Amino acid sequence: MGGRLGFIGQRLVKAVFVILGIIVLNFLLIRLAPGDPALVLAGEAGAADPKFLADLRREFGLDQPVWRQLLIYMQGILSFDLGFSYRQKQPILDLIMARLPQTVLLTGTALTFAIVVGVSLGAMAARHVGSWWDSAITTLALLVYAMPQFWLGLMLVLLFSVQLGWLPTFGMNTINSGFTGLDHALDVGRHLILPSLTLGLFFMAVYARLTRASMLEVADLDFVRTGRAKGLSEGRIQRRYILRNALLPVVTYAGLQAGYLVGGSILIETVFAWPGIGRLAFEAVLVRDYNLLLGIFIVASVLVIAFNLLTDILYTVVDPRIEMGT
Amino acid sequence: MASRRQVLSSAAGLLAGAAIGMPRMARAQQKRGGVLTAILNPEPPLLVLGLNQQAPTQLVAGKIYQGLLRYDFDLKPLPSLAKSWTVSPDGLTYTFTLQEGVKWHDGAPFTADDVVFSCTKFLPEVHPRARASFDRCESITAPDKGTVVFKLKEVFEPFLYAFLPAGAPMMPKHIYDGTDFRANPKNATPIGTGPFKFKEWVRGSHITLVRNDEYWKPGRPFLDGVTYRVIPDAAARALAIETGQVDLAQGNDVEAFDVQRLAALPHVELHKKGYETVAPISWIEINHRTAPFSDKRFRQAMMHAIDRDFIVKNIFFGLGRPASGPINTATRFHDAKSVKRYPYDTKKAEALLNEMGLKPGAGGVRARIKMMVLPYGEVWVRQAEYVKQALRRVGIDVTLESNDAGGWVKRIGDWDYETSFDFVSQFMDPAMGVARTYISSNIRRGVPFTNTMGYVNKRVDELFEQAPKQTDPAKAQAMYSELQAILTEDVPVVWLTELEFPVLINKKFRNVNIDANGPNSEFDEAYLA
Amino acid sequence: MDFLRRFARNKGAVVGAVVLSAVVLLALAAPLLFPEDPWEILGPPFRRPGEMGFLLGTDTLGRDVAAGIAHGARVTLLLSLVSTAVALSIGVVLGAVAGYHGGWVDDVVMRFTEFFQTIPNFILLVVLVAIFTPSITSIVVAIGIVSWPPLARIVRGEFLTLRSREFVQAAHVLGQSSPRIIFGEILPNALSPVIVSASLMVATAVLLESALSFLGLGDPNLMSWGYMIGAARTVIRQAWWISFFPGVAIALTVLALNLVGEGLSDAMNPRLARKGRA
Repeated sequence: MGGRLGFIGQRLVKAVFVILGIIVLNFLLIRLAPGDPALVLAGEAGAADPKFLADLRREFGLDQPVWRQLLIYMQGILSFDLGFSYRQKQPILDLIMARLPQTVLLTGTALTFAIVVGVSLGAMAARHVGSWWDSAITTLALLVYAMPQFWLGLMLVLLFSVQLGWLPTFGMNTINSGFTGLDHALDVGRHLILPSLTLGLFFMAVYARLTRASMLEVADLDFVRTGRAKGLSEGRIQRRYILRNALLPVVTYAGLQAGYLVGGSILIETVFAWPGIGRLAFEAVLVRDYNLLLGIFIVASVLVIAFNLLTDILYTVVDPRIEMGT
Repeated sequence: MASRRQVLSSAAGLLAGAAIGMPRMARAQQKRGGVLTAILNPEPPLLVLGLNQQAPTQLVAGKIYQGLLRYDFDLKPLPSLAKSWTVSPDGLTYTFTLQEGVKWHDGAPFTADDVVFSCTKFLPEVHPRARASFDRCESITAPDKGTVVFKLKEVFEPFLYAFLPAGAPMMPKHIYDGTDFRANPKNATPIGTGPFKFKEWVRGSHITLVRNDEYWKPGRPFLDGVTYRVIPDAAARALAIETGQVDLAQGNDVEAFDVQRLAALPHVELHKKGYETVAPISWIEINHRTAPFSDKRFRQAMMHAIDRDFIVKNIFFGLGRPASGPINTATRFHDAKSVKRYPYDTKKAEALLNEMGLKPGAGGVRARIKMMVLPYGEVWVRQAEYVKQALRRVGIDVTLESNDAGGWVKRIGDWDYETSFDFVSQFMDPAMGVARTYISSNIRRGVPFTNTMGYVNKRVDELFEQAPKQTDPAKAQAMYSELQAILTEDVPVVWLTELEFPVLINKKFRNVNIDANGPNSEFDEAYLA
Repeated sequence: MDFLRRFARNKGAVVGAVVLSAVVLLALAAPLLFPEDPWEILGPPFRRPGEMGFLLGTDTLGRDVAAGIAHGARVTLLLSLVSTAVALSIGVVLGAVAGYHGGWVDDVVMRFTEFFQTIPNFILLVVLVAIFTPSITSIVVAIGIVSWPPLARIVRGEFLTLRSREFVQAAHVLGQSSPRIIFGEILPNALSPVIVSASLMVATAVLLESALSFLGLGDPNLMSWGYMIGAARTVIRQAWWISFFPGVAIALTVLALNLVGEGLSDAMNPRLARKGRA
């Protein structure tokens, strides 16, 4: 038990440093972009004069030297205050928390789909290696893996929404519908299908291939042969021994994908007008909403670190031969 | 148009007042009830019109706040919070008589004190355009609770055009006086005098406005409320109008090529009017500080090389008019006869370039220039691609530069560009929105929407200074006609298109788009048939 | 030739190589097949494929989609190759240094690498390109910057394994300098996973570049496949072909690159070739 706690503690300390680094890096990075929020607002108002720009900059705290701004920001972080958005006149944490669940819903559904379907397909391909099934699954995986996600999304919309009219084109719910309760859940569910399918298909392909390769590798190992020699059923061997061990790379890979799932959703959220934080980050860059962008980076990084920690722990559960802290 | 009627004499002012300021409207039975749902895109940062005049803010806040005047499609001033007005014969004193019985949404009475506060304290502090307008005033006083007197330092004939709600919204003194305007907590719940009150704002979803039962116009507004739905995706917005989920789409909500298709639907009506208060012109802004841009022949060649009809037809899908000069046809003092014409003629363009000594070199290239693309939407990217092709045909090789909004505003303000697309609003009178681009006193580094080109012409400066001081409309017109002739000869910027913004309305709503402020207007006469 | 034989045994890899060659050929032949600039407005907009002699139709302004695909091949290949080169330069150097020296150098480099891997790399990519304004240079460098970490890890892994081998010990004894050993002795032996990774990385670069162009962050002077899809997004209902064909082109190219990459992997490491691979 002590080993495990120490392990987690170590990782947490490391995590803090990483997040600190991310804050400083992105704080400085975004300020390298030409133009500031005051200019953006002036651009949209279609009129400006020096006083207007100066007043706005003072309001946003941009008239201070950069190191000072950084210090003020860091102080805020310590009290879990991610600052205030220039643009939307709201606390950043509120803005992020309002959109984060939508992204988690999207990526969570996609990931679940990807793992469940991907692992199943991969296992099936491995089980019937060399057969027609195997070729079909492998080819499908390769094809899906190669398609650009945004294009796949558009094509799916074209087919299922525009042509067939089965599914909605965009958004998370039907405007003006006023649905509540179960109706609302079903409405969101319908809207969720195409975006999560688009996001999930890519990873499904990856997991399918990974599972297949991994299972084939394990199938040859000694303890499996021993199992067969002992007369255990093929199904039992597959499930208990092969699959369990083959899952290790899948778990590892899932951990590595955390960052992609948070950031990669920008594309899907754009294509489907899904109100998540990926799109929020993109919009924040365009209007120089420094604090919002920084806030999203921080939240995303925290999530990635947490996810990685989780998968590491999961790893040790799946394979107790692995020691923590190595 | 040359013959802009100028309602300056007291008689005309009273007449307008007597007619209760009815803009052009359908005469039919107006029923009470119904909620109009409109599109809102992008979501505005805040709704306090005095603090923010971005397009989406104007849409929503235009129902909450009001100005002293409103304007019809011909830009004739009409009463709003001002019931009537008079102008002294010497053109220096403007006296406004306010409507009676006007209350703020929180119940406090609207009086001349609010007007004085708005025009002397609030707006000059935070509103660049209003600041410029009211700087011209020697004094702004309230002799009694229902009258406001503006005394100008010198004659400024277009002064009546400063009172659009977006230009000079009336702000409540009892809420803002003595506070930090931008940080005032009441900014979250805007208080105005308009026909609709702010009810709620669910970020990312919608803004709800409800009828102001105490609105000062008897029996108005007819609608129970107006709801603005935030829809970030273009295809989604088109679909929303198509399916009737929203009743109103305006401006850039719907992509240009989709407008005609939607307008053809049986339940949808298309208006091309409603933006006369802005009447923007899109052009190519040129930095005169380096060659070959300093030579007007190069700029004239560019004017000849671009087919403005093609742009209107294929890029704006008919939503616009080819621009011929610095003053939009919808703006006062436009004179079609005085502008120098530049028909699409690649031969003329090449002749001018030859004259300059820019002969075709390798690959037929005579000159290499850079051009910044406007970051405000797909249509500008298409326009940039077309212009690049058009100029290539006469031997000018264009490298497009892509910036986002922050970068673009910075570069153009800092003069860090060779050429750039831009579009600028005119605000009804050349003195309000046109002069700022061409006068040498407005060459200010770091500030956008100024004379970033570095164009200097003494006669132009003189004319822009003198014209607003003329009380005789004929004299003013003569000056503006001369200006248009000079500017179209000098071509400080390459004018492209007079932009028209569509307003798509569900036919079941009437009297929605009734004045020059179009969808930004109060909607106090709108009703559900 | 042994290598080629091993490569050819993988049918998928052969197919990939053929497709890839076709793409390269198209890129090279583009100016011959479609001498007009792909930006040139050649016809009325929204013509369907096959109409008026336009094989793949025309787009929103009346440009030839087929010309766009052909010229786009050059742009796409060029951008992805150069950005992979950038990623390689950073990743190989860092990985080599970390793996060779070990100890605290390794620690520092690894922390640095982990750091980069924690930031959601697509958001970082978008931020970098937006900050340095979209142009060929900024796109290529930005893609390189977000892609190098996995490569560094692989190189480091190889170096850790190889540095204790006899030929390296021998070089030490002979007094060769560290850089000489790194680049002269170890690196050539570590190349095979690098080459495999590089080919897969080119595929990823193609996808990243097209995603950026799709979002409007591409270089506006370059007609790339991603750009074509992005420009056509709003008209997808009336003109599906404008986004369809460039997408197919991207998918085929990426697929080919992946197949070739795996073929290379199998060919270079026959002992690791999977059982039952078709």
